[in-house]
Amino acid sequence: MSAEMYLAKASDENMCEKGEDGGAVTSLLRYLLENGIVGAVLTIKARNGNRYDGVPTLIDDPEDLTDTAGSLHCTTPNIARFAREYLEEISEKKIAVVCKPCDARAIIELAKREQLNRDDLTLIGLNCTGSISPVTAKKMMKDEFYVEPSEVIKEDIDEGFLTITFKDGNTKTKELKELEENGYGRRENCRRCNINIPRMADIACGKWGAEEDEDMTFIEICSDKGSDLINSAIEGGYIQIQKPSTQNIRTREEKNNAEIGRANEQRKIDFGPIEALDIRERLNYWVEEFNKCIKCYGCRDACPLCYCEECILEPNREFIGIGRIPPDTLFPLTRLSHIADSCVNCGQCEEVCPMDLPLSKLFSFLNDRLSEMFDYTPGENMDDTPPLASFHENEINIEDTILDVTSLSIEKSKEN
Amino acid sequence: MIDYESTICPYCGCGCGINLVIKDGKIIGQEPWKEHPVNEGTNCPKGRNAYQFLNSEDRLKKPLVRKDGELKETTWDNALDTITDKLKDVKPERFGLLASGKNTNEDAYVLQKFARVVMGTNNIEYCGRLCHSPTASGLGPTVGSGVMPTSELDIETSDCIILAGVNIKENFPMLAMRVIRAKKKGATVIVIDPRKNATARYLGDIHLQLKSGTDVAVLNVMMKIILDQGLEDTAFIESRTTGIEELREHLSSLEMEEMESISKVPVDKLEEAALRFAEAERGCIIFNQGVNQQVTGTDNVKAVASLALITGQYGKPGTGVCPTRGQINGEGVGEMGCLTVFYPGFKRVSEEVAHEFGEIWGVKDLPSEPGYTYIKMLYETDILYIVGTNPMMSAPDVNNVRKALEDKDLLIVQDIFLTETAELADVVLPAATWVEREGVHAYVDRRVQKINKIVDAPGDAKPDWIITCMLAEKMGYKEYFDYTSSSEILDEIGRAFPAYAGIDYQRLEENPGGLLWPCPNKDHPGTETFFTEKFNTPDGLGHLQVVHHKPPAEAPDNDYPYVLTTGRSIFHYHTGSMSRRTPRLDKEEPKAFVQINPSVASERGIKDKDMITLKSRRGSIRIKARITNDVQEGLLFVPFHFAEACANVLTNPELDPNSGMPEYKICAVKLEVK
Repeated sequence: MSAEMYLAKASDENMCEKGEDGGAVTSLLRYLLENGIVGAVLTIKARNGNRYDGVPTLIDDPEDLTDTAGSLHCTTPNIARFAREYLEEISEKKIAVVCKPCDARAIIELAKREQLNRDDLTLIGLNCTGSISPVTAKKMMKDEFYVEPSEVIKEDIDEGFLTITFKDGNTKTKELKELEENGYGRRENCRRCNINIPRMADIACGKWGAEEDEDMTFIEICSDKGSDLINSAIEGGYIQIQKPSTQNIRTREEKNNAEIGRANEQRKIDFGPIEALDIRERLNYWVEEFNKCIKCYGCRDACPLCYCEECILEPNREFIGIGRIPPDTLFPLTRLSHIADSCVNCGQCEEVCPMDLPLSKLFSFLNDRLSEMFDYTPGENMDDTPPLASFHENEINIEDTILDVTSLSIEKSKEN
Repeated sequence: MIDYESTICPYCGCGCGINLVIKDGKIIGQEPWKEHPVNEGTNCPKGRNAYQFLNSEDRLKKPLVRKDGELKETTWDNALDTITDKLKDVKPERFGLLASGKNTNEDAYVLQKFARVVMGTNNIEYCGRLCHSPTASGLGPTVGSGVMPTSELDIETSDCIILAGVNIKENFPMLAMRVIRAKKKGATVIVIDPRKNATARYLGDIHLQLKSGTDVAVLNVMMKIILDQGLEDTAFIESRTTGIEELREHLSSLEMEEMESISKVPVDKLEEAALRFAEAERGCIIFNQGVNQQVTGTDNVKAVASLALITGQYGKPGTGVCPTRGQINGEGVGEMGCLTVFYPGFKRVSEEVAHEFGEIWGVKDLPSEPGYTYIKMLYETDILYIVGTNPMMSAPDVNNVRKALEDKDLLIVQDIFLTETAELADVVLPAATWVEREGVHAYVDRRVQKINKIVDAPGDAKPDWIITCMLAEKMGYKEYFDYTSSSEILDEIGRAFPAYAGIDYQRLEENPGGLLWPCPNKDHPGTETFFTEKFNTPDGLGHLQVVHHKPPAEAPDNDYPYVLTTGRSIFHYHTGSMSRRTPRLDKEEPKAFVQINPSVASERGIKDKDMITLKSRRGSIRIKARITNDVQEGLLFVPFHFAEACANVLTNPELDPNSGMPEYKICAVKLEVK
């Protein structure tokens, strides 16, 4: 399908100033609210203006949208979980969700499982090259950029570099690779992420391909709903558009490919040593990690896809033993078997783990293999069925064992 | 429509941030607060289920007064009149007030002021007496202050961490997170604990599995090895301590074999641990109740501190002797002066200090002699005012506590539930808690953080400080308790305790993670590392202490052949009043249990989950057996969360003479299997 693409900006000069890259996204949201297309917008705002404290927020008054304009890179709110958990608390049914690729993918996986109604949602996708956990980000500002975190008014990630803008208008740029080697920079899951343009949303917005004009956002239409939105917003005088040049489109694609390249390289670095272990050692590696678990259920609760109201891991289900830490290895393995086929690599599980278990690495590692076997990319397409809910003839011939639980041995030895 | 409101977890002293999800003034969920520096969006099982207890149907909503033997709902006016009728006649020394580590600083400050100004007595204590009194009496003479000398965040920069009598994985998981990070960077973790608990199994590199009650023997040997091998930090000892000769002399008189036979820890293991700690660039010792809750608690703490001093492990981030804090405000309520020996700011009770506070408060003749410590107060008073603490579960020898409480002329209990203690009260006052009121707490590392009021308290329940001010007004002392907001109280605290002078509500709200005192002025960033130049002792030096091993008050014998030790589970909190009303936590660990070694179980014919009877000289409980290698053969372990099998029916009320701490960790029991 040859995609429809535009360079867009807000028609309203004021909005154009306040928003990032010409305020197109904010104007589109304003259009949706003012015309009753949606009852509310679910997006992220910097709580009390604090860029390190993004929280999901529901907006029904278009005037409040300006508070949410601009991207936040140093905060990692869980918007898909919010959508699943709290949207039913409000009366509005039609909602626009501003989402990164992993958020959009999680929402689509939830919609497949009938936890959200895709038709009620307008997904405004934003390109993403990763985000930074707030505590790490604040340390990084002090230790690497030599600036008080509150002095930063903007961050930008481009071509492997992080540029921050200070209150006084000055900027400073550092290479992400170097920052990340020093223990700062993006979350590990983000470094491995190779889906930067949210084509599974209704529209995918970003600055790639719009570099020539700072006031423009590059928008790719990804669905009929997205197409209607753009056309009506133009008609309604909310946004102005122009066609991107071939060069614009090529630049965008090149940048995307470069990011995918970097992510795939990172996967090799992260997964290589695990793949090098034999099956038994590999399991032992994971079980050593699992043994740190204190059964807080943080990973389960943070996972946008773990939706069961009566989770089998709950203590009253009598599936796994109660009252002890670490819990049975069945605890993480059950989550793995339930979710790994659909994991969207959002990193939320790992981020909320108090014992620093490398959960995202485990889930991505497994998902990589499953994706290949089943030709399934989670959250990419509403019509694809998750591997767990489908059958593939090749399955019979799969000899690779990712985790051979028959070799569970170290847990027992620890007990005695 | 739906808002995220940030707050601090109501459980232990780590002080983790959480977001509550609020709709129409009600809490509908909980989400990570990732910017919070203590926990970075993570939580332990209790922290993940922080708010459910608030909505429990049996929250106290109205004052209750006992009439014809039954507690009946009444008005605030009537309840307070009932109290003042009796309070007006009681002699100062026959009145006692017990505050709680769950009070805010503002609550605690007002409570101690009530005892001292209105009642004219220093009979004011709080549950810190039962957790950390040996910390104060042991660290006071040694380094001058019983606080954590490092930021809890900096524990991850240590390269050798001793965990002494602290099951950190279960009871302080956010400190365990720092230890895990330190380990990733190569740190050695040494666990000193009689139990092979989750901490020893999954966090420790070296486990010194000592016999209960032999901490001094273990620590003395470690120090002896260090001095014998010349591994001490000579420059540090020379410039910053005093008493090395006496210590050296004492340790050289000890026989290794004899010490080994006392503690049952092989000398080669002690040597390995001692060497690792002595060689560490930054070493710290995190300790808790295993060290404290013994009749030798003060000596144990002194030995811990001496070990850190001779190795120079003080004055840098991630070093020092670090007491933990089990309660949200275990630190702050002590700072506010809810201890019979201290006015606010740890000013020791004396004529001079009484006069000083008389000036601040505008009153004369404040009490200048210490009163009773917690346990004695239970027995020696006629009127007892108990705020947010539950001695019917938490004090040792509960059967006798019951008799003492039933005997009171007036027992006032102010709490959020009708606890086991409140059931015995003559007047019960319903309190607001946690996010139902505003105030500050001081957490484990002197970290002062603010809790905002987010939801309304149920029924007529009110914040503790307001209740106490109402009572003070009824007693005719309105002018001294004429606060219109909790922030006014914090301002007064800043005048009474200069380390707080730079702390106000606005600064706390602007700083996620709060401020670490001392914070003497409004421009001061707070103090992460304590004792960098000198100690808090009068001469500024660390005073090395000579301590001798002493046996426990009640050793096992033929009649009572096992040692019982008590403690906590990760899924529950103290006397269970909050965690047992939290469905997820209660289902995880719904019943009391006793840990029994497999060989004892097989010898006595006990199978896992059998109901057995545990008896001490003070009482007995029926309890479910849990067979595990966590405990050695002679040792039994019972958590103290469960009212139906209350561990403290069995425990020994014998006190550490230096601190008033009961010996919770060691008493003699027998098993009956039927």
